[in-house]
Amino acid sequence: MSTSTAPRTQRQLPPSPPPKRRHRSTLRYGGNRLRRAGIVALFLAPSLIPLTLFTLVPMVSSLWVALHDWNLITPMEFVGLANFRELLTDGDTWAAFGHTLGYIAGYLPLVYLLGLAAALALNTALRGRNVFRAAYFLPVVTSWVVVALLWRWLLSPANGLVNHVLGLVGIDGPGWWTDPAWAMPSVILASAWKDLGFVMIILLAGLQAIPGELYDAARVDGTSAWQRFRHVTLPLLSPSTFFVVVISLINGFQVFDQVYVMTGGGPAGATEVVVQQIYDLTFRYGRAGDASALSWLLFAVVLVVTIVQVRGQRRWVTYA
Amino acid sequence: MRRAALYAGVTVGALVMLFPFTWTVITSLTPGAGLGTPDLIPDEPGLDAYRTLLDAMPFWRILANSLWIAVASTLLQLVTSAMAAYAFARLDFPGRNALFLVYLATLMVPMQVLVVPLFIEMRELNLVDTYAALLAPSIASAFGVFLLRQAVAQVPIELDEAATIDGAGHLRIFVSVVWPLMRPALATFAVLAFMSSWNSFLWPLVVIRSPELMTLPLGLSTLHGQFTTEWDVVMAGSVISIVPIAVLYLAAQKYVIQGVARSGLK
Amino acid sequence: MAHPIRLGTVAAAATLLALSACSQGSATREDSGEDGQVVVRYMEFSSNGGNEQHLEEIAASFERENPGIDVQIETTPYADYFTKLQTAVAGGTEADAFELNYENFVTYAESGALAELDVDGGAYTPSLLEAFQHDGAQLGLPESFSDVVLFYNKDLFAAAGVPEPTADWTWEDERAAAEALTDTAAGVWGDYQPATFHEFYKALAQAGGQFLTEDGSATAFNSPEGIAAATWLAGKSGTVMPTEAEGAGTPDFDSTLFREGKLAMWHSGIWMFGPLADVPFEWDVVVEPGDVNQASAMFTNGVVVSANSEHPEEAQAWLEFLTSSDTTVDTRLNAGWELPPIADQDKLAPYLEQTPPANRQAVFDALEETVLPPVIVRQQEMQDAVTEELGNAAAGRKTVEQAVADAAARVDELL
Repeated sequence: MSTSTAPRTQRQLPPSPPPKRRHRSTLRYGGNRLRRAGIVALFLAPSLIPLTLFTLVPMVSSLWVALHDWNLITPMEFVGLANFRELLTDGDTWAAFGHTLGYIAGYLPLVYLLGLAAALALNTALRGRNVFRAAYFLPVVTSWVVVALLWRWLLSPANGLVNHVLGLVGIDGPGWWTDPAWAMPSVILASAWKDLGFVMIILLAGLQAIPGELYDAARVDGTSAWQRFRHVTLPLLSPSTFFVVVISLINGFQVFDQVYVMTGGGPAGATEVVVQQIYDLTFRYGRAGDASALSWLLFAVVLVVTIVQVRGQRRWVTYA
Repeated sequence: MRRAALYAGVTVGALVMLFPFTWTVITSLTPGAGLGTPDLIPDEPGLDAYRTLLDAMPFWRILANSLWIAVASTLLQLVTSAMAAYAFARLDFPGRNALFLVYLATLMVPMQVLVVPLFIEMRELNLVDTYAALLAPSIASAFGVFLLRQAVAQVPIELDEAATIDGAGHLRIFVSVVWPLMRPALATFAVLAFMSSWNSFLWPLVVIRSPELMTLPLGLSTLHGQFTTEWDVVMAGSVISIVPIAVLYLAAQKYVIQGVARSGLK
Repeated sequence: MAHPIRLGTVAAAATLLALSACSQGSATREDSGEDGQVVVRYMEFSSNGGNEQHLEEIAASFERENPGIDVQIETTPYADYFTKLQTAVAGGTEADAFELNYENFVTYAESGALAELDVDGGAYTPSLLEAFQHDGAQLGLPESFSDVVLFYNKDLFAAAGVPEPTADWTWEDERAAAEALTDTAAGVWGDYQPATFHEFYKALAQAGGQFLTEDGSATAFNSPEGIAAATWLAGKSGTVMPTEAEGAGTPDFDSTLFREGKLAMWHSGIWMFGPLADVPFEWDVVVEPGDVNQASAMFTNGVVVSANSEHPEEAQAWLEFLTSSDTTVDTRLNAGWELPPIADQDKLAPYLEQTPPANRQAVFDALEETVLPPVIVRQQEMQDAVTEELGNAAAGRKTVEQAVADAAARVDELL
């Protein structure tokens, strides 16, 4: 048996499959209702129980905290929705969401295109491609603590390597993280560099699942390389793309480590992002209630964005 | 000609990707190095930083803790995530899409705000300062469920059907049909899960207080002084912490490639 | 065909490891030590980065004198210490005794998290002891102190033919020397003093200004003195001191610059004496130049007993030993660690005999005119706001006047 069997009849998720396929699905009408519930429980319990205990319960607790004033030291004081009201009327909150959206708007296309390029290049019969893949993946496994300091230095306006190289070709490099206009692009550049290996391995797995016969057939039809990419690769890669986009957005809204080390939110607050505010509010400013309220605002935004994507996927995601 | 261009492009890209690692290694071999441009070849390269590192903390104990926790959480997440992925991809039950969204929702609140409630919960469970507390939040992974759900969806359903005809139930199908065919995705997820545990900092920081239970990121953080930092030692720690994941990646890559090689047979 | 990652194997291994996690490691530490000893847990940050051994020695010495007490030290690096401490306090699992810097002491004292101490304070420098009183109660003990002086590279001064700084230098002398010493072509800078909150409140005092009004209800630094102080600090960047774009503000940038002999004058703390002991050039220190006043920054760390501690007497006994015993004084002086807060100056004599720097007396001379940071409940927010606005002035994003006015407005909102 070969894994290359074309996955012709995969079930589409989450939209309901056509009735015919439903009929062909396994065991669905076998056994009684209780038994089926038991099977579902058996498969879900090992993840659902720990997720409930160690993530959902703290999440709900933090919603409770959001209704209080709490500096973590004195007992909590109930204030109702005052924290939310305060945050929504605070310009800093809107600015932080703006910066976070700006980050995502730059980061997501960049990391996806770079990751896709790497995946396409390293999916060819290149000699030494394993070494190349490892090289592209290496930044993913390093820790931001060290790497962000390195980027700070690489992008140092006066004596950084990047501006030095730009200077050699006659370009006067920008002020990067010291310039409010360039600080976020600096963070985006460093982040895309670090994460493109992640996108690459997800897309590589997706590329490998595309049956070679489809390309052969397309070649017989006399298509150009671009047409094959456009009409075979991209559609069949869409489940992987969907995964990358959903996960990158969820993570992108929570960008923090690289900002914290590279710019600390500066200059002039130009890179102050939502999670940095959450961290400062909780652990530096003694305002755990505000921090919890802010993270629930963030949660609401991410949830809506994710639901929109999950609903929208049926328009563009093809499961073979 | 196009091949040459491809090689050139890929090589330049690889150099850009590798540069920071090279920088880390060189700095770690330059005694007394600061942050900044080290000489490409240090004047007097030495392993002093690595020796300092071993002396500065109960290094092997810390390494063992980290390895142990990372391996345990990776194995647990592989099993729990693959099972849930199977349920979401292959079983039909009411509220499935809503429940999947609940799983995804667990990824949407930043750890920075969950740390305090989770810590209080651990105190209630009497688990503060234990291995169990380190492991608890990483038994299951919604990220893994999502990643593996996409992989299960790519396993041809005819295979399930054939197995059903042979009288197999869902558990049998999962164990002997779906799991083996998901190996490339499992290998990918294993690397990412291991890495996430291996680099985890905030939660171990607050929940661990005994030096005997410290993990590597906690140990490495003690190298940053309040006023000064020995960067060569920090870099040496960074190099050491990358090695296990790099090894794991190379091992896992074999499985990913196997998938390719097989599809190449056709 | 063999499947090296067979599900059964993975599941079995995972279960095994999970079970051993629950059996191992739980309750690694009992509340009572060996032989029914009382365990006193102590959380701290200041031994991190080289003095861990020395703190252990002090604790061992205490335990020899007090066989009934077992001190358990939990060290966390400064950068992460307050995250860990606050989470522990929120969960009610903080140690019996813990360390706080002066700025954070007020927050904890106001929150009622600290136990009142019953000590004979005679051993301590009175001003330091007073710093840890709150509403008339002694809620903490001073543990160490340090101050900021002007470090200078004697070789660079000699090479440029500029006379070395003296104790009666003013800002004007410093400015003139810094300009003469700066040689951008050679990568040599005359001065280094970041435009931050911690430099600003001190420069403000030197200029004769006040940070807050007498009753503490509003800021008072949007004044001619405040603008003079901010101008003094922000004006250095890019003229006699590297700009942010040139690396200023990056961790260890300033210490590296000084160590490499490329910085003539440096405003820094006496905690740098140890790290600079082996540099290949001559250097010394002097009390920081003032303007209309002399004023030096003093930093002090304190130690406190948690209001939740079950062993407050034992915890206090440990803290008294830690802060004022002869063992501590000897250990701190020998290690070149921050100075003990004791009143008896004779005991500090060995410190003065060590070199470099030759002029260690400046450390104590600086104490004659000190200024403590202004402290409010929303301390960290105030510090961040002031530092950010001064940074805007230093980088030329705002005029100094605008930055000072904005900083004052932001701090007023926090009061």
